[in-house]
Amino acid sequence: MRIITGLVTVGMLSLGLPLQAADSGFNLETVNPEADRLALQAFYKKRYPDVKIEDYVNGIYALDAESHEQWQEIEEFPPYEFSIEEGEVLFNAPFANGKTYADCFENGGIGIRQNFPYWDKEDGTVKTLEYAINECREDNGDKPLKWGKGDIARISAYMAWTSRDNVFEIQIPQDDSRALQAYLDGKKFFYTKRGQLNLSCANCHLQGSNIRIRADLPGPMLGQVTHWPVFRSKWGNLGTLHRRYAGCHRDSRSKPLKPQAEGFRNLEYFQTYMSNGLVVNGPGARK
Amino acid sequence: MKKVMILCAAVLFSQAVAAETYQDAFNKARAMYGKGHEFQWQGKTYQTLHEEEIEADVDATEANAKALLEKAVAANKKVADVGFEWKLTGGLLKQSAQAIDAGDYRKALDLAAQAKYHARIGFAQYGYAQANWIKAVPQ
Ligand code: HEC
Repeated sequence: MRIITGLVTVGMLSLGLPLQAADSGFNLETVNPEADRLALQAFYKKRYPDVKIEDYVNGIYALDAESHEQWQEIEEFPPYEFSIEEGEVLFNAPFANGKTYADCFENGGIGIRQNFPYWDKEDGTVKTLEYAINECREDNGDKPLKWGKGDIARISAYMAWTSRDNVFEIQIPQDDSRALQAYLDGKKFFYTKRGQLNLSCANCHLQGSNIRIRADLPGPMLGQVTHWPVFRSKWGNLGTLHRRYAGCHRDSRSKPLKPQAEGFRNLEYFQTYMSNGLVVNGPGARK
Repeated sequence: MKKVMILCAAVLFSQAVAAETYQDAFNKARAMYGKGHEFQWQGKTYQTLHEEEIEADVDATEANAKALLEKAVAANKKVADVGFEWKLTGGLLKQSAQAIDAGDYRKALDLAAQAKYHARIGFAQYGYAQANWIKAVPQ
């Protein structure tokens, strides 16, 4: 019988620099999102002293000169341009009841990307932009869209486009400890090793950022969520953040969560809080 | 992923510490000598066999295959419930069930054993994570 061994002896993998053990930040009593955010920025400032924090919105292209060049060529004729236009048409098309998406969102849905995801106290859950888009459809008697690509990505792209250069300002309301718990769950998800390869997101995107893993060069986790949805050359179309989450989750040889599962929404909540202070630059283009 | 694997092995061995745990001793002997080899730990002799390899080492009957598959399904449910299911386990379980239908009970036993191994290590991973995830967070 063949059993896959070697790889996973639980707990042995420490790719790159071991970080010091922590005695706080792992439970509701001690977790401090703002301290986490500043510590993450400090980590990157130390690791890449020449890279400005605001440049992290460009992902791997902020760190790797060669990739940066290729990417600038792509951005000259942005592959997401048509999607924005299509997204605008979809966004303005009325539902059967005559209402539109604009009726569901603050400021008519324009220039608000930086406020997502947010904690919805009434429903007791994190709401991402895509989640809110589908909720809007259902509230108006329409069917929800598929999460990964297609129209939902186009509408999301248009809404991001109208918000370009707005500064992310994710809130974790203090009057509802469930919001902080959601943040903590997301944080834990990011740093937890899992799957047959025993890899965490952090193994690749924190310790491993800009370190070649076979042919791949994982980008930094700071700024990872600012530019969604993304036209990815490998996909050949526009896709949502959770589509990418599922792919990366699977890369640890885990059975991935489904897009917009609570675990991924909490992860996005955590990751976007980490990117507070950076600007919205979606939609984006990536390899 | 080959590089990562080699790296893991290197890190694994470089971290061997003075008071070797049973698991460490087992892993080392297993990695060096393969399965079915004897090794010593704290004065006693053990075999480099995974729990599942012992469970699969039974007569290839329908009843035995079904029993092990059932255990594997339960183990995978347990690990899925805590969010640590591995990517290939579901497929192994399915193939094991198909092998039973096809009357290939040896194959079914081996596949179920693999699946159960994935589930067991995934669950151990979950346990390890509870205490250790925080160590990777920049402070
Ligand atoms: C085996 C290494 C590896 C693991 C583990 C991994 N990723 Fe990735 N990830 C990559 C690589 C390589 C890319 C492509 C390069 C890039 O843009 O970062 C990528 C891309 C991404 C992107 C897109 C970045 C962008 O700028 O568009 C996101 C978001 C992401 N990963 C999130 C995650 C999350 C969340 C996890 C944990 C569930 C994770 N990754 C686990 C290697 C990994």
